[in-house]
Formats: sequence, structure tokens, C-alpha cells
Amino acid sequence: MYEAFGFRLLPWDYGVRNLLRRPARSAMTLFGLTLVVVLVLVVVGFIRGLEVSLSVSGDPQVVLIHTLGAAENMENSSIPSSQAALLSASLKSVQRQQGPSGSKVVCASPELFLGTQVNIDHESEESLGLVRGITPATPLVRRNVQILQGNWPGPGEVLVGRLAATKLGTRPEELAVGKTVTFEGRTWKISGHFASTGSALEAELWCPLEDLQLAMKRQDLSLVAILLASGADLADVDEFCKERLDLELQATAESTYYASLQRHYGPVRLLAWLIVVIIAGAGIFTGMNVMYGAVTGRVRELATLQTIGFVRRAIALSLLQEGMLLAMSASLLAAAFAVIAIQGTAVRFTMGAFTLRVDSTTVLIGVGVGLLVGVLGSIPPAIRAMRLPVVEGLKAI
Amino acid sequence: MPLVEIHGLTKEYHKGDQKIVPLRDASLAIDKGDFVSLMGASGSGKSTLLNLIAGIDRPTSGTIHVAGTDIASLTRTQLAHWRARNVGYIFQLYNLIPVLTAYENIELPLLLLPLARAERQKRVEIALAAVGLTDRADHYPRQLSGGQEQRVGIARAIVGDPAVVVADEPTGDLDAETSEQILHLLQRLNAELGTTLLMVTHDPKSASIARRQLRLDKGVLLEPEPPKVALAARGA
Repeated sequence: MYEAFGFRLLPWDYGVRNLLRRPARSAMTLFGLTLVVVLVLVVVGFIRGLEVSLSVSGDPQVVLIHTLGAAENMENSSIPSSQAALLSASLKSVQRQQGPSGSKVVCASPELFLGTQVNIDHESEESLGLVRGITPATPLVRRNVQILQGNWPGPGEVLVGRLAATKLGTRPEELAVGKTVTFEGRTWKISGHFASTGSALEAELWCPLEDLQLAMKRQDLSLVAILLASGADLADVDEFCKERLDLELQATAESTYYASLQRHYGPVRLLAWLIVVIIAGAGIFTGMNVMYGAVTGRVRELATLQTIGFVRRAIALSLLQEGMLLAMSASLLAAAFAVIAIQGTAVRFTMGAFTLRVDSTTVLIGVGVGLLVGVLGSIPPAIRAMRLPVVEGLKAI
Repeated sequence: MPLVEIHGLTKEYHKGDQKIVPLRDASLAIDKGDFVSLMGASGSGKSTLLNLIAGIDRPTSGTIHVAGTDIASLTRTQLAHWRARNVGYIFQLYNLIPVLTAYENIELPLLLLPLARAERQKRVEIALAAVGLTDRADHYPRQLSGGQEQRVGIARAIVGDPAVVVADEPTGDLDAETSEQILHLLQRLNAELGTTLLMVTHDPKSASIARRQLRLDKGVLLEPEPPKVALAARGA
């Protein structure tokens, strides 16, 4: 029972009861370690949220056609409206669906996309929002869009993404159906809310393309998003763009576009991982401090155990067990707190908004860091305990 | 063959540039069932000799055979296993584990032996009865008096039926009356159970209860002429 490592271990109860020996100290350490793991979970949840938001944003079947050289920033793209019809007619690789009257509907979505100042219900402060002019064909291409509440926007109306309130820095109630927002010199009535499987689109405001063009006094589009027909690929569209040099168009797979954004946010993620390492480091030193205290206060006791016949490794393992028990309890508490209180918290960033993602991967990383803190925080004190000569230890007060 | 046989035992260590020799060329033989007291002034080397025989310290030179094993040649881990089977240690300050009950403290050395739970329970109950603490089995050390704690310490030392029990000033932290009770308990264990005992003390009265008295002076082991009373007690 006690001989799992080739030598007799100390009773499991010994390690557990030692934690209760100084309840206030153990409770404070538990609180500190829980805080460390919560912070780790928040940062990892941030990284995961950002990654997942950008990775689900790119539909592999969707190609974005935009102005040459605007692949990095679609807002700078400008193509004449007339080219949308030309593209629909010319591109054979675009998906076509059966329309209501038997005609074929081309799955191409001409869109005008911009970042602009948005005023919510005449509030004094404006916020930078992301607005997309769309057409009834948009849902054919943006296949993951779901209307959660209300209706598709009619003239003078706007459909609000699930995370638009976060992006605009306001409360979701301020963007309730029936309320109004003002942008580009026009007031828009909110017709409904939509979701898009956590993609970046959820931070946007969608309004009819023609209305937006009228409001902005623009005739052009930012891009035409097309859904590729089965078996077709980007090369077909790319070839067309390269043949028609006069149009000055470029085709970018939507997944590539968002992947490039992922790269753009690489330094942010790197910084976030660095924060995880720093927080974990602080946790390790906290744990180490506590376990050093535990060893220092029990020198004679540990020497007594050696005198009785317990080998040093058994004593070191018992100390490790104490550290691990604390770290494990802290990790579980932190994970429970994160799932209940942090999961789904919306975060605003330049490209839009996303939610902190406390999924199984995040919990696994958080708990893993917690356990690592427990192990690394306990090893040096355990080694110290192992090195202590028995006779010296017995003399300790 | 003696149970404990040491020959030419010397222990040296360095404190800064200073060489300290707490034990110098000591030779000794202790028979099975003997009760030996080791007296000496503070720093005379008596605890050093005790710790060497108990296998928690290593000699600089010389040999120590206990129960047929040359313990100076054992590795640290082998020595720990050897101690678990062969040595019971009674400490001056009892050294009970505060988070364990009296029962659990006594059971601790048995966890190192290949014994079933029922056998361990039987042995702990016998040991508790031997020291008169059956009704204190579930008490934690903080709930016991000094004398009771030392009795638990004695029960812990004898429960595994070790070859030799060593006691380092076992009454050093107790009042006179409790000390006497503890000494009588040790005497009784030696007489009734045949436990081989080696006790370090600086108190001549405590030392006198042993069958054989040794003295250490500045690291040199001296065996005074045994008094007639002690000789009679040994049946010599």
C-alpha cells in the first residue's frame, strides 16, 4: 500500500493533515495560488479567445475579392459597384443556388466595410464601430450567420452583432432591438441581433449596402465575398483576377486573410504568454516560500522520520504531496471560478471584439500551470529537507 | 556473540578550521537483553556514540556491528531500511509527530515493515498497553502530558520489536516523579520483554537503574568497575 516507489511512503494523511496544521497560512497560500491560476486562466482565455475568434472567422470556401494590395486592410479597398455584377457573371467557380423562381442565384456578396464613429441613442460620446453594408445575398456567403433576435435589416435599419456592444464599449441593453444608433450622419433603427459562431463578424453592425452607400455618398464597394462552388479553389478566382489586369483586383482566401491577422496579433499573443510565464513564476516563488517555511518549521520532525527509518525520498515526496495538494485545490477552485465568472466575458480590441474562452484547452493549460507551480515550488524545499543531516536535524529547536 | 560490537570507533568533524573529535577509538560490546547506561558530561561524546550505534551518524573510522550487520558499510538508504527493522529511538523531547494521534505515532515504524493492517493494530495495542496508554490512543500529542508523550515515544520505539532500543536523555525534559516512572518503565521493558537498551544520561541516579554503566570522558569510553548491586542484578 505504501510501497509504490520501491520504498515505503509516509501515510497520505500525514501530508493532508500538515496542510491543516497552520490553517491560516494554508488558506492564504491557497488563496494566493488560486489567484495565480485565475490570472493564468484569464490570460490563456484571452489568447484562446483571440485565436479561436480569428480561426473561425475564415471560411475555407469563401474568397474575398478586393483592390490589389489591400489584402492587409479591407477598409482601404475600393472597387466599383459595377464590378460585382461582372464578377458574378464571369466567375464560373462561384457557387450557384436554385432561386425561388427557378433562376440561379450567385453566392456573391458585395460589401462595403469600414470603421466609423458610432453614436448610441444620442449619447454624448461616440465610439469606433465596424460597419458592413450588406445585401440579401450576404447570408448565402456568410453561412454561419444566425439571426438571434429580430429581423434582417430593411431600409434605414441595422442588424447588430452579438459582440458589437463590447466593441462600442457600451452595455448590450443600449443596442436592444428597436433602439437607434447614428453613424455616417444617419440614424439607424436596430432590427435585430446576429451571431456568427464566435467569428470577428459578431462585433459588426450590418446595414443595407445601398443605404450605407447613400449615407456615405459612395458608389464603390470594399470587397466582393464569394462562395466557391464545390471542387473549385482559390486558383480559379486568382487566375481570373490576373487575367483581367485592367480591373486591378486581387483574390484572397478568407481563411488566409484571418490567418494574416493572427500573425498581426502575434506580438500580442507572445506578450500574453510572457505574462503567463511571469505569473507562474510569481506563483512558484509563493509556493516555494510556503514550502520552505514548512520545512524550516519541521526540521526536527523530518529528522525524526528519518531516524525511524523513512528514506529521504519518502519525506521529499510527502513534501511534494503537500505542495501538489495545495496547487491542485487552487487549480480546481480557479478553474471553477473561471468557468462560472470569466467564460464568455467580452473583450474589445482594434479588430473587433471576442470573448474570453475558458474551454477544455484553457482549463488544461491553467491547471497544468497550477500543478507545475506546486511541483516547482516544492522541489527546492524538498531537496533541502533531503540534504539535511539527521543528527543536525534532531538538534533543531 | 554480542548484539552490539564496536571496535576502534572514532568520530571527527570540522568546525571551521577546528577539528573536533567527540569520540576517540571507542570499543564496546553489548549483549542481547542488556540494559546499558552511558554517562558523561556535556560534549563528552555520549550522544555521538548513541547516534553511531543507532545508524543515524557515520564514524570516521572503526567498525560497528549491530545484530550481525556492519552498519558502517551500509549506504544511506540501506541504513534507513536497517534502522526501520533494528533500532527503536527514544528522544529527549519525545519527537512525536504532532499531526498524528498516539496510535498513529506508534504505528509509524510498523508502516516500514511488511505487516498486514491487523498485525499492525495488534502490535500497537500491545505497545499501548505496555506503556499504560490504551485509553489515550486517539489523543494527539498536544492533548498529552510530557510523561504521556514520552510513554508514546517509548511505545513507538519498542513496537517493531527492534534489536536495540536507544534512549537519548529520555527523562531530560521531565519532572522528578515522571522521570522515575519512565525509568521504571524502561527497566520493566528490559526485564519483562528482554529489550536491549542503551540509554544516554547525565544523571547518575537515572544511570544507576541500568545493569551496566559506562562513562565517556572527552570522547574516551570508560567502563567503571561494576558495583556489586549491579553485578548481582545481572546474575554475575
